[in-house]
Amino acid sequence: MPPEDHKAPADLPRPGHSRRDFLRGSSLAAAGAVMATSAETAMHEARADVSETDGVAIYSGTCPIELKVNGEAMSVTIEPRSTLLDTLRNRMNVTGPKRVCDRASCGACTVILDGDAVYSCTTLAISCADHEVRTLESFETDEGSVPQSFLKNDALMCGYCTPGFVTACQAWLEKNPGQEPTLDDIKQGLDGNICRCGTYIGVFQAALDAAKAMKKGGA
Amino acid sequence: MAALWPDNPRLIGEGVPRLDGLAKASGRAKYPSDERPDGVLFAVVLHSPHAHAKILKIDTSKAEAIPGVKGVYLIANEGATVRYHGEEIAAVAAESEEIARDGCRAIAIEFEVLPHAVTEAQALAEGAPQLTPRGNTQAGRAQEDGDPDAALEEAAARIEGEYSIPVITHVCLETHGQVVRWDGDARMTVWASTQNVDGVESEMAGAFNVPATDVTVLTPVMGGGFGAKFGADTWGVAAGELAKKTGKPVWLFLDRIQEHLTAGNRPSASAKITLAADKDGKLTAMVAETAGTGGISRGAAFPLPYVYEVPNSRRQHTDVRVNGGNARAMRAPGHPQGCAMMESAIDDLAETLGIDPLQMRLNSLAEQDTVPSGSGEALNRTEIYREQIKLGAEAIGWDQRKSRADNAKAEGPLKRGFGMALHQWGGGGRDDKQVTCIINPDGSVELRSATQDIGTACRTILAQIVAEVLGLQTTDINSNIGNSQFPPGQASGGSTTTPSMAPPAYNAALEARDQLFKRIAGALDAEPGDLSVGEGVILVKGEREVPWKDACRKLGTMPINVTGNFSEGLTAQGVGGCQFVDLTVDTETGVVKLNKIVAVQDTGLILNIMTWKSQVYGGVIMGLNYGLFEELVMDPSTGLCLNPDMELYKLAGASDIPEIDIIPFDNEQMRKRGVIGVGEPPTIATAAAIGNAVANALGTRVPHFPMTPMNILNALAKA
Repeated sequence: MPPEDHKAPADLPRPGHSRRDFLRGSSLAAAGAVMATSAETAMHEARADVSETDGVAIYSGTCPIELKVNGEAMSVTIEPRSTLLDTLRNRMNVTGPKRVCDRASCGACTVILDGDAVYSCTTLAISCADHEVRTLESFETDEGSVPQSFLKNDALMCGYCTPGFVTACQAWLEKNPGQEPTLDDIKQGLDGNICRCGTYIGVFQAALDAAKAMKKGGA
Repeated sequence: MAALWPDNPRLIGEGVPRLDGLAKASGRAKYPSDERPDGVLFAVVLHSPHAHAKILKIDTSKAEAIPGVKGVYLIANEGATVRYHGEEIAAVAAESEEIARDGCRAIAIEFEVLPHAVTEAQALAEGAPQLTPRGNTQAGRAQEDGDPDAALEEAAARIEGEYSIPVITHVCLETHGQVVRWDGDARMTVWASTQNVDGVESEMAGAFNVPATDVTVLTPVMGGGFGAKFGADTWGVAAGELAKKTGKPVWLFLDRIQEHLTAGNRPSASAKITLAADKDGKLTAMVAETAGTGGISRGAAFPLPYVYEVPNSRRQHTDVRVNGGNARAMRAPGHPQGCAMMESAIDDLAETLGIDPLQMRLNSLAEQDTVPSGSGEALNRTEIYREQIKLGAEAIGWDQRKSRADNAKAEGPLKRGFGMALHQWGGGGRDDKQVTCIINPDGSVELRSATQDIGTACRTILAQIVAEVLGLQTTDINSNIGNSQFPPGQASGGSTTTPSMAPPAYNAALEARDQLFKRIAGALDAEPGDLSVGEGVILVKGEREVPWKDACRKLGTMPINVTGNFSEGLTAQGVGGCQFVDLTVDTETGVVKLNKIVAVQDTGLILNIMTWKSQVYGGVIMGLNYGLFEELVMDPSTGLCLNPDMELYKLAGASDIPEIDIIPFDNEQMRKRGVIGVGEPPTIATAAAIGNAVANALGTRVPHFPMTPMNILNALAKA
């Protein structure tokens, strides 16, 4: 549930550059195709076109990458600047995660990347090559599952924020197996997500119910 | 006489889960913005970077030369004037959204930047640029009742207050937009994120001069509208033109910045109110000057003195034009503003008189406020308010409330306060909508209508009604709505959808059932009058049970297909509600912590208590956003909006949500009224009640909404 501060532990090679870091590190952020040094290796591997202007390497064009999405290895052609969210939605037709704020404020785009909830709108797709991406389409939907708990508690209205809330809940439960969270735990865990219809009360109960079901199921 | 709602329903009123709930919660529901027809191009809108400017020259050649850019369409042409930051200028379609954005950036525009006025103060200042040919203001019709001047003279107490609340935006999570696909030269399919599939159909048909029969607008689900999504809009036409030009389907949705700037907002409101009462605390007179801005060309009207009866009143309202995006209807248009202004004033007056503001409200309601009932019995809404206020006061613990003076004397920086406010709404249905009910020989049942479910659970509620009549489960019904080719459905505005659509759904199901009886009676060796519906079965003479599917099989090959209409007696309008707030203000930081909100609401016959409660929770939460957080901030010097995003434009998150106690005002008399919409009323009074609770806690009025630390600390500094 908490789209956590996404820092790769030292011993685990993991995607470490979000779009925010990337923009911060680039001198021509608006051009959208300038790479921060942290991404260079990936870029080279991805064989994007590289040119130099005023001593700054500029990557452009398109490059094929392999993304593991919901257990399936898939090839996709992206641009170096493509976000994980836009890659999933526009290039792979994985439209469960939604684009709402497009700048890491609202959580509607939340996916699970190597077990962590992350905002896919501010994660570069290229940094996820060969990593494991899970979206809510892959979650169980039977009795006691997070999506079922949302249904039963009417924890959704228009439903456009719902994928993010569901994914955040799922990630939290997986990270905290067997725990029975308090209402405050739930609120804190979901503070990275925003709903406009005002479904929070149902969402809280859905999260509590799903945690209870998970504990009972011994997962 | 047409049928009335059943007395002892099996499903109507029950908390039936949404039919599309699991699809939404598992990411499988396809929203219009999720549609990716084969060969789709992505389009991006270019918007004005200036608050006010003339377009001297537009050069799109560089954009068109970018590999992957497939089409450029100008929404504004050379010589046009853009009148606010965010106004649409052009749209670019390309193979990817990234390339379409490059295309927008590559459009070279020469502007003559004109002087701007983006705030009401700027627009009203001496020497302000003239923003419209008729000037920067438009006076509303003056209203006058009785003799306010004499009544003010005679009053036992009066206050003069000034209050204001800023422009906010709808913040639909799915931005405005659509996917347009031409099927040949003259047929068009539009997947639109809209509250009005029929309206978008007719606008697109008009814009492209094709018959409405050849335009299909599909909205199976959509990500929020709140009043902002009724039309095809310039971007809908742009997508259609680009699709035509390129011969490919075009996806075009606004970005978050554009959603804030050009896709609608709730107008601001300000009021200078002189309010007076007699010694018993009954309102006697009001004189008010009010204003607001709805952007560059829309009004900012709101009701005043709102729910109260003020025998002597005078009011002058002025709409102020600014270089800002235009207002659109937003959840109970005008009412939240009118409620915030009036409820602040009556609270301040009660304080001056030294009487309980709850009592003053009771004293000041009209003796008789007649609202209709489907049963034909006229009701007095004032009586409903009295009962609701009793319930709400008890639930919040109003007896713990202290006077402002006592609270101001309390030790320490944390001050607790209680506040309340009343609201009203119409919520009746229209009589010209239809629903088709189809019973197939295999027993499957479908209902069809062009109305749409914008998150209200309309899809589920209509299925519940049909299932009730046919003895089935709600999940047995294929509730097929959101298609403009189906029988005419209600646009989702004014809390009118359910009261407009429930009667034709009911009548269609009743007629379909009767036709089924007629068609299969012979095969069951019975007369149609011998047949009735049981749970999942057709009963012959109340005894022999024929399973639903077996019974339907007797239809042979011809399904039953019935279109139902509206009928009298199933709906009503005119609701009331009250909300109470318990909160704590930290007078050192100005931060408000909500402890509890109570909402009491009547809406006649409740069709699904679970989704009804969601509507009320949602209304309250939208109202607490309005009361505490929301404000679209314009920069007077640059003329630009400073917070068209979701971090500086504040909305409540999980930790901001207090305990919320929803009390349905539901009794035999209410149920007999029939169906009334609930979307809007519960969002009206929350902000006003929060403002009053803050005033109660601090011992002083915070005149400007929202109740942010800045506004609170400013008010404390002046107190």
